[in-house]
Amino acid sequence: MKDLVQLELIRESLVAVVNEMRANVIHSSYSSVLYEGHDFSCGLMTADGRQIAQSLDDHPIHIFAVPYSTRVVAEAFAGDVHEGDLFLHNDPYTGGTHLNDILMLFPVFHEGEPAMFTAVRAHWGDVGGMTPGSLSGRVNEVIQEGIRITPTRICHRGEMNKAFLELMFNNMRTRAERMGDFNSMLGTTRKAAEHVERLFARFGGRELLDGVEELIRRAETQMRANIRALPDGVYYGEGYIESTGPTAEQLIARLKLTIDGEEIVADLSGSSPQTAGPTNIGPSMALNSLGTIVKSFLDPSTPINHGSFAPCTVIAPEGSFVNARYPAPCGAMAEVKHLLDAVIAGALGQAVPHMKIGDHKGGANHTYIAGPEPSGEGIYLLYEWPAGGTGGTEGVDGNHAMRFYTEGDFSSLHSSEVVESRYPLRIERSELREGSCGDGRFRGGLGMRREVRLTGDEAVLSVVSEKNVIPPYGIDGGTNGAGNRFTVVREGEVIEPSPVPGKISGFQLRTGDIVREESSGGGGYGDPLERDPGRVARDVRLGYINPEQAEKRYGVVFDDGGGVDEAATGRRRAALRAERVHVALGASNNDAFDGPRRRFVLSPEVAGRLEVGEDDLVELRTGEGPGLRGWVSIDADAGEGSLMLGPAGMRLLDAAAGDRVEVRAARPAPAV
Amino acid sequence: MTASTRYRIGLDVGGTFTDVLCYEPETRTLLPAKVPSTPGSQWRGVLDALAALGIEFADIAGFVHGTTIATNALLERKGARTGMVTTEGFRDAVEIGRTRRLVGGLFDVKFIRAAPLASREVRLEVPERTLSDGSVESGLDDHDFSEIVAVFRREGVDAVAVCFMNAYVNDATERHAAERLRELLPGVPVSASAAVVRERGEYERFSTAVLNAYLTPAMGAYLDTLTAELARNGVGAPVNIMGSNGGAMSLAQAKDFVVRTFLSGPVGGVNGALRVCEMADIDHCITFDMGGTSTDVALVHDRSPRINHANQIDAYALQAPQLDIHTIGAGGGSIVRVQPDGTLEVGPQSAGAVPGPACYQRGGTEPTISDANLLLGRLPTDRPLSGGLVLAEDLARKSFQKLVSRLGGGAGDLLGIAEGVLRIAVAKMAGAVREVSVHRGYDPREFALIGFGGAGPMHVLPVAEELAIPHAIVPRFPGHLSALGQLLADHRRDLVLAWGGRLGTLLVDDLKERVDAMRREASSLLEADGVAENRIEHVVSVDIRYSGQSFTLAVPWRDDYEEWSPLREAFDRRHGDTFGYVDTENDAEIVNVRLVTFGRIDKPHLEFQPEAGGDPKLEIRPVWFDGAWTECPVFDRARMARGFSFNGPAIVEEAGGTTVVPPGWHVTVHASGALDCRRRSGPSD
Repeated sequence: MKDLVQLELIRESLVAVVNEMRANVIHSSYSSVLYEGHDFSCGLMTADGRQIAQSLDDHPIHIFAVPYSTRVVAEAFAGDVHEGDLFLHNDPYTGGTHLNDILMLFPVFHEGEPAMFTAVRAHWGDVGGMTPGSLSGRVNEVIQEGIRITPTRICHRGEMNKAFLELMFNNMRTRAERMGDFNSMLGTTRKAAEHVERLFARFGGRELLDGVEELIRRAETQMRANIRALPDGVYYGEGYIESTGPTAEQLIARLKLTIDGEEIVADLSGSSPQTAGPTNIGPSMALNSLGTIVKSFLDPSTPINHGSFAPCTVIAPEGSFVNARYPAPCGAMAEVKHLLDAVIAGALGQAVPHMKIGDHKGGANHTYIAGPEPSGEGIYLLYEWPAGGTGGTEGVDGNHAMRFYTEGDFSSLHSSEVVESRYPLRIERSELREGSCGDGRFRGGLGMRREVRLTGDEAVLSVVSEKNVIPPYGIDGGTNGAGNRFTVVREGEVIEPSPVPGKISGFQLRTGDIVREESSGGGGYGDPLERDPGRVARDVRLGYINPEQAEKRYGVVFDDGGGVDEAATGRRRAALRAERVHVALGASNNDAFDGPRRRFVLSPEVAGRLEVGEDDLVELRTGEGPGLRGWVSIDADAGEGSLMLGPAGMRLLDAAAGDRVEVRAARPAPAV
Repeated sequence: MTASTRYRIGLDVGGTFTDVLCYEPETRTLLPAKVPSTPGSQWRGVLDALAALGIEFADIAGFVHGTTIATNALLERKGARTGMVTTEGFRDAVEIGRTRRLVGGLFDVKFIRAAPLASREVRLEVPERTLSDGSVESGLDDHDFSEIVAVFRREGVDAVAVCFMNAYVNDATERHAAERLRELLPGVPVSASAAVVRERGEYERFSTAVLNAYLTPAMGAYLDTLTAELARNGVGAPVNIMGSNGGAMSLAQAKDFVVRTFLSGPVGGVNGALRVCEMADIDHCITFDMGGTSTDVALVHDRSPRINHANQIDAYALQAPQLDIHTIGAGGGSIVRVQPDGTLEVGPQSAGAVPGPACYQRGGTEPTISDANLLLGRLPTDRPLSGGLVLAEDLARKSFQKLVSRLGGGAGDLLGIAEGVLRIAVAKMAGAVREVSVHRGYDPREFALIGFGGAGPMHVLPVAEELAIPHAIVPRFPGHLSALGQLLADHRRDLVLAWGGRLGTLLVDDLKERVDAMRREASSLLEADGVAENRIEHVVSVDIRYSGQSFTLAVPWRDDYEEWSPLREAFDRRHGDTFGYVDTENDAEIVNVRLVTFGRIDKPHLEFQPEAGGDPKLEIRPVWFDGAWTECPVFDRARMARGFSFNGPAIVEEAGGTTVVPPGWHVTVHASGALDCRRRSGPSD
């Protein structure tokens, strides 16, 4: 029993180290991405690269990838790590995320052997490359995204490699800021190492390290037990990256999720090859995604360590966009990671139904506005990543414009007053995007609208985002949230800053232009016609939706006094239900694809009722799960009221020939 | 001395008890009383407590009150129906915030964000705009407010926040709108954002203003009732309210700026501890105020408590100067649970006052920290605690047996587990001490740990051991230290001036001129509150950072500085200690000048006398330390004279607290009556 107490003490002490690290970075860093945006994470790793501790504010997207990088460092410098060494890394092909996320590892020694690493992964505002901020939707190779650092020892036995640092800083914009952030990370990892050394002295080094192993073992045992409690089975998922960036072409992610005893395997075979655009991820990220969803669905409350991920395996074909190699750019890694999150959550939800949740903004929504400082000295860079609405789930409506459950608790917006006082910009509005929610028995949250006016002479706009074309899915009959949308308003006219929506690179802004950022609503959960009319009335009262939307999307009709007209609501709901378009599934030997795009052949009559044309996106819905999406081909010979589907499609819908399923248009604009 | 200057009263309303301390300067004596709190109508408890003192109400000369009205109304969501008027485009600033969850939520699919305190249908926009340089692009001189007024009337709004963009630079339009609304909505309090807090950051400032409006009617009603009842009962002295910054505020201030009172209770403890430091000649201390459900910890360096300007309460941003008090959810009533992976967790759930720990015999069955203390012999079972509570060992034992069986252990493990539970609780509390010390760049071993509150004396020495702190103090009247702090509260004003730039571009004389102007302003404000000129003291500091950083460190500014280098050196030193590096290549820049002005009041010179004579040793009983029963003397504190000393292990009992002295500590009764505890040996952290 003494051991149990000791274990809890060790765990508390280690989490305290990480909390201290977070405070340290926030208070000593130089770029607003870090001190305002909090876009960094901290953690402790074992010497062989397993995660020991993080805090509840740290972002899994950063931290769950650190073990991979740490293993690479540990292997590359096996037997050659010394006190006073320091390692730097951002290479996506060896465990990095994207080049902007710089990882610093500081080894902590026990009895002359490396025993742990203190780790900070922080988003640097610029790491070189072709546009200010380095991330761009229109890159063709990783070289354009900035400096790539494979595992590198930048300090050897206390001797800093000044030549390396000079070379690095010389190739980044806003050099002073970069050096400041570097110093902040250095101070943080160093102070954390001192703290860990004090813990070695206090608990005894061996005892502490044994305790760490025990905590990891317990987390693994717990996760295995939770997986064992699920029915064995195979579940499928499919989803799209809507555009690679340089082109409007889609990429497909295919998932076969197997729950077998106490293990989970996510097989991504059949996913698209890597692409020249930024929508790729390196080898650490697919497991990162699986780990995030499995942790959230099966064991959200126990503290986080590597043990939770031990029962999880990913199969991702090398050279695909979910396991890319040089020279594939990875700037939009967050977008790919979120896609995998959504596909895995949709599939795992079939085994854990009470956790089913509508999808969200589908990536980071990186938005950069950069221009010359009014003083004439250098450039300024405003970097924000507006959050969207979160998904609806059983019992709970989605939240408005808030960080999703898979994301660390970062601010995604700067204070408008700070922006106005620092940059030649004015924030015209920063408000909820009414009507943007996905509908459902429990609706999604609203996205937001932020308008930034350029008051200075000139500036450029870059955006990397997803879900501008393919909206976040609703689940179990819930409707899709409105998609992201990034436009420029010039002299009152809305203009598209890029031929590829949501992927904008260096668009030239003029004085007076307004950048309008609109983030996605969350997907709904359950049939909106079953939503409690009282909840709909409340949404109308608060202006989240208007009365017309309440009627057309929820079938709720109000009387003259503003109360719910029960009888009229019943009739309206019956009518809306009758208007839904259903097709009977026919079995085809093959799934129809046109490149990555699934094809649905519709009769002109069905297409007409849906008001969709050739190449529009539609989705099939059984009332369970996220549905199946495909692009329309209209064929007069297609059977009226029927739709042919191949075996993979049938598996994805868990349907059989003869089943009647609903078919809906999937548009990114808010409904009504 | 006239009768009307006789008594000074400090009064602290807690969740369970209302504590009052009365000081009579003539006899230099303190008179304590403790009565049950009366939730829902705190003023009754206040009157009960005054009555319990048995003094003539007419003889009360001064009265400082620590109140939890604001915090309670917020946590129970019993504030006003609050409307908001704001700049076009920013109606949702308080709903979106900075898109953060603020209270956990990672991996939580079912997370629900706290609703804004001003509901969306009563957040209305007006076509006004002030720019970031303070120029007014469009004002509201001719604006017709009747539509807004009609909506607010229809919706039953009974408090309003006016929140305009960039009002921190120029609040002319905001003030105009607030004045118009006050005229048009008589009786409805209106909070204007820049009047509440003049700091940059619209979400944080708006959130603070909305909090203020939301809580104003509740605070106003309470203070009106209280003053009426006090007057009816013959208390003529002015009532001052303890502010979160550690200074007393006038009643009018407290009504208008409710958001400055959230820490009204806990700051009393810090002030009380400061007085203890003065009497014991200690410069640096960490306060450890442990109650039934939570523990408040604060750091005091050079006898000045740290202050924070950006805070959060519940899930809402709060910009108000507050003492840097860190609160954790672990107290005597914290419940022990087994986590899914088979490890133990202590808190944050608490048994509270009702049902309370199992041993209180009020229906509680879950094992708590108090039950663990009882099982280990640290609390008496054969005589009542002060307040008449008799503790039941069998119920404590039963609650822990449940825990042992959940852990799959045998009955023999019971004491081991109870001891383990205390160790976990102590580690949590040590974590809170680290938070205010190590996190802020201070080494806790250089501070004296001061333990008070109902459960503080029982845990302060184990917490000190955990952190290798060699010196701890348990003050006299540990259960009344907060009330002592109220009694001793100076008047206080915090002023801030956004002034600065790179050191290389600034003139020292410019700073001195500005500081002088700020001193004049603060002095006149305090003199208006009735503070005599010779009672006024000023403390100046600057917020400074390396060029390019955002966060600043506060570094004291001394009048004898004739150039920047001593300031720069002090800053470099603090930065290196705190963050692990010094940036000698970069210029440093001043961002703000801060002035704290005190209106000092006389501090009681307390004459310590034991309350009773005779042998302090009450009995010898077995107490569990480090895995074994140890025969241990139990002392009665009321009989311990100054200079009395003893070694641990020992237990010291008194009304309102039990001090646990583990082996390895040497205790001497200080001239002030405090227990001065020194560690004789032990491992280092």
